[in-house]
Amino acid sequence: MAALAHLVRRPPPDADPRQTLRIRSVSVAIGLLGVALVSAALAANLAVAAGDADADNLLWTFGLSVAGFRTLKLAIALVLTGIVVRLWMRVDAVEAALQRLKAEADPGSTRYGDIDTPFGKGALTEKAPGLLPPQAMARIMWRPMVLMGPMLVLAGLVLSLLATGADDPDTVQAFWAWTQGTQFLGEAMLLAGISFLLGTILAGLREGGGEVQESLGLAVKTLHMPTSAKAFLVLMFGGFLLGVAQFVLYGIAAYVDDPATWFAWLGPLRELALGILLSGIVLALFTIGTVLGFQHWRIRQIIETGR
Amino acid sequence: MATATDPATFRVERSTRSLGFNLPQRVGRLLWLPMLLMAVMLFGAGIVLGIVRASEIADGGAPDTIAALQHVQAGIMFLGFASVFAAISFAIARILGQFRAGGGEVQAAARRTVHTLEMPGTAKLFLGLMATAMMTLVVASALHLVFAADIESTPASLADAEDRFVVLEGVRRLGVALFLFAILLGLATIIRVLRFQAVRMRELPSEEPLR
Repeated sequence: MAALAHLVRRPPPDADPRQTLRIRSVSVAIGLLGVALVSAALAANLAVAAGDADADNLLWTFGLSVAGFRTLKLAIALVLTGIVVRLWMRVDAVEAALQRLKAEADPGSTRYGDIDTPFGKGALTEKAPGLLPPQAMARIMWRPMVLMGPMLVLAGLVLSLLATGADDPDTVQAFWAWTQGTQFLGEAMLLAGISFLLGTILAGLREGGGEVQESLGLAVKTLHMPTSAKAFLVLMFGGFLLGVAQFVLYGIAAYVDDPATWFAWLGPLRELALGILLSGIVLALFTIGTVLGFQHWRIRQIIETGR
Repeated sequence: MATATDPATFRVERSTRSLGFNLPQRVGRLLWLPMLLMAVMLFGAGIVLGIVRASEIADGGAPDTIAALQHVQAGIMFLGFASVFAAISFAIARILGQFRAGGGEVQAAARRTVHTLEMPGTAKLFLGLMATAMMTLVVASALHLVFAADIESTPASLADAEDRFVVLEGVRRLGVALFLFAILLGLATIIRVLRFQAVRMRELPSEEPLR
């Protein structure tokens, strides 16, 4: 946990932005490992289809594939922590540059309140507004999600190996159901962790933007929460709750008399949960793009008008 | 001292105006929403097909219908995943576009030479892998639909359908892994662009303004 906290610690203001972050190459290496795991599972699937291996092997290839996805998503989470750190270096660089680039302007009178910007409605305030509640929550919640998700996927991989080695059909059914439920709950947690990291990036953009404007003695312009961000929250929580629900339902399916029926609709249900979480991630990335556009517009405005 | 203009640190294009968005970024800005909407529709269709197949199994339906539904459901659901991963990739391209166009506009506003980072190697790999992953998922999903139409109610045909499903399942997973790796490279590119922007912003005030 302490190591994870260290990952997104704000660098000192005089940190050299030219220094490279090792986290970037580490993430890519971890990602390659994930692709290798999934490739190994594909080779085993081909062997089963060709009749060179028993169909039982499909149980562990499932576990290994999901473990490969977990490894890739963990790598994505790590690279996002690198983006958080780099964003703070950008904030310090912009603050230092604008002190000298800002146009001279009469202080004049300022009307605080709601404003229109090319990127949507915003607010003009005297001081930097604090974080929005979801952003504050994202800063706390990404760590437990990124920690617990991989653990569950790993537990599911062990269960898949136990299912492969079991002889009794009831035991195989139970292990197989728990494998799927546990691994996809882990996947949902990892995707939720990635979503919270994207929320942490949005928090950094809001906080950093306010800090720069305030340090220059300017009125602070901030965007209101865009509709895309609200939809992102709905999809993220909806997808996560569905991920928890499929885990509970697989727990029931482990002991029912007609598992084939249950597995037939639980498979698409768990995929739907991940699909909803991924759709939320699209909207979070769109929101980040919008906020960045707003920030560049605001920096230009400060350089050209000094206000 | 290494600067943003130092070719050993960053390869840049110099201009007097912002270069705006490049082609992949323009495509990303255009296509992220249609891809997302398509994904949502396909996910909806996938879950409905899953429920229909479950009810066929519960009612003791024909084995060839159940096998065909398995293929169709997987094909539709993974077309949905291909769409949502494409939407994520396009949204990342849109972010990179904001850095490219916005960063250039800021430099132009400061009346300095506009330095624009040339497309990094990770960005080129991101594009190449994304296209490969998309093709893998789309072809695997299309084959699911083709094989579903080919299933007959004979033991040999049902066994073939099962083997084909096992192979395509592995291929689909590889497609997803490649997409995730492409997304990882897209995000790694953002780190490089942020590094460039921080270096460039710090050196901007010490440069002579353009006339």
